[in-house]
Amino acid sequence: MRLSKIIQLLECEVLIIKDEDPEIESVGAADLMSDVLAFGGPGMILVTGLNSPQCVRTASVVGAAAVVIIRKRNVPETTIELAQELDMPLVHAKMSMYRACGILFREGLGDSLEEGKHLG
Amino acid sequence: MRKANILAERNVDDLLDKLRGLFADITAEDIMIKSVVTLTKDRTMWQAKELMRICKISGVPITDGDNQLEGIVSIEDIIVALEGNYITDPIEKHMTRDLITFSPETNLEMLIERFNRYRYGRFPVVDSNGKLLGIISKKDIIGAVLDKFRLIYVHDTRRREVLEKSVDWFDKSLISGDYVEKTSADFVYHIDYTDIDTAGVGSAKLKSYLKTLTDDDTLIRRVSIACYEAEVNVVIHSGSEGYIFAWYDEDVARVRVEDYGRGIDNVEQAMKEGFSTASDHVRELGFGAGMGLPNMRRYSDKMVVVSEAGKGVVVEMHFYRNGRK
Repeated sequence: MRLSKIIQLLECEVLIIKDEDPEIESVGAADLMSDVLAFGGPGMILVTGLNSPQCVRTASVVGAAAVVIIRKRNVPETTIELAQELDMPLVHAKMSMYRACGILFREGLGDSLEEGKHLG
Repeated sequence: MRKANILAERNVDDLLDKLRGLFADITAEDIMIKSVVTLTKDRTMWQAKELMRICKISGVPITDGDNQLEGIVSIEDIIVALEGNYITDPIEKHMTRDLITFSPETNLEMLIERFNRYRYGRFPVVDSNGKLLGIISKKDIIGAVLDKFRLIYVHDTRRREVLEKSVDWFDKSLISGDYVEKTSADFVYHIDYTDIDTAGVGSAKLKSYLKTLTDDDTLIRRVSIACYEAEVNVVIHSGSEGYIFAWYDEDVARVRVEDYGRGIDNVEQAMKEGFSTASDHVRELGFGAGMGLPNMRRYSDKMVVVSEAGKGVVVEMHFYRNGRK
């Protein structure tokens, strides 16, 4: 599924976007960055309640295709700046984690944080 | 007793004079918090109270749509509103309008003088047109002063020299046992532990650097993930500066992350998934779940950790080109 479709489904505020519209293969939902580092893989979209620059940096390190920050009052400038710098698409969904994940699951996207799937 | 006090006071005066020079160049602009949470005056006092509770702040500046400062609502105002039973009133009716503000150029001495004279908990910083630029509380002043001290401490490398000379494992490869020439490293990064937001910058740089040498994405990914965990560990646990060294040749990438801080009491325990000594603050940032060392082991082909309480940590990892997938 294309990122643009996900932005539409989750009614996202777009913060950083690239010219190309990446293909999203699977979804990883976590607030714990170590979990993402342990099990995350290339091509996933990171759905997280964390809004610090670390979520963007973690996504970049595991090769994720985009980051969706869930329902924060604001996303800090430092986070947006880092996404710009690392060329990482960053969007903000103003709905609950449960709802966002439910929608993506219903659309048939797989779970990228399933243990053992992307073991280094 | 009396005599001792006089001496102490004189010493304090001397100390203050010395410190004054050190801090003379700090201005309101350096200290202020720029990402200020504000409200407009049509909101209610109750909303101000909730905002202060959630954001853990003690006052909210009230601005118009154009960021022009119109007033402030403080915890004191909220308490009075609760007592007077008008907490659901709009802010407009009860905000403090008569404000003492700072210009961005105000120096530290003047800031402290104002804090003492007016006894408010926080002061807005505005530009010459009255637009809100930031806010300063006493906590921010202490923070700025401490930062200055920390800067001095970090720049003092004598501590490191002593440590390096007295502890053999800072000089030898943990995996091969050879002396390592850190000056010959292909990549060196100094880890600044004072700013948790910068944790990971070194690993990101290492990743970009490796990209210029190889197109083996799996290898690059493994190195950067493991290095990221090691770097975060230095920032959140060591309480000291640290370094990332990396060497690369066709067959193997070698990464060494070292710090000179608290050290690990029990390495075996630290290697277990889920064991962590991290603070709640660190956990809120998405780390400290006890996955750091296990993740490094998961992604590297060889890994050795050496540490002793109070003597820093050295982690050495090797990643082979045709190692784990």
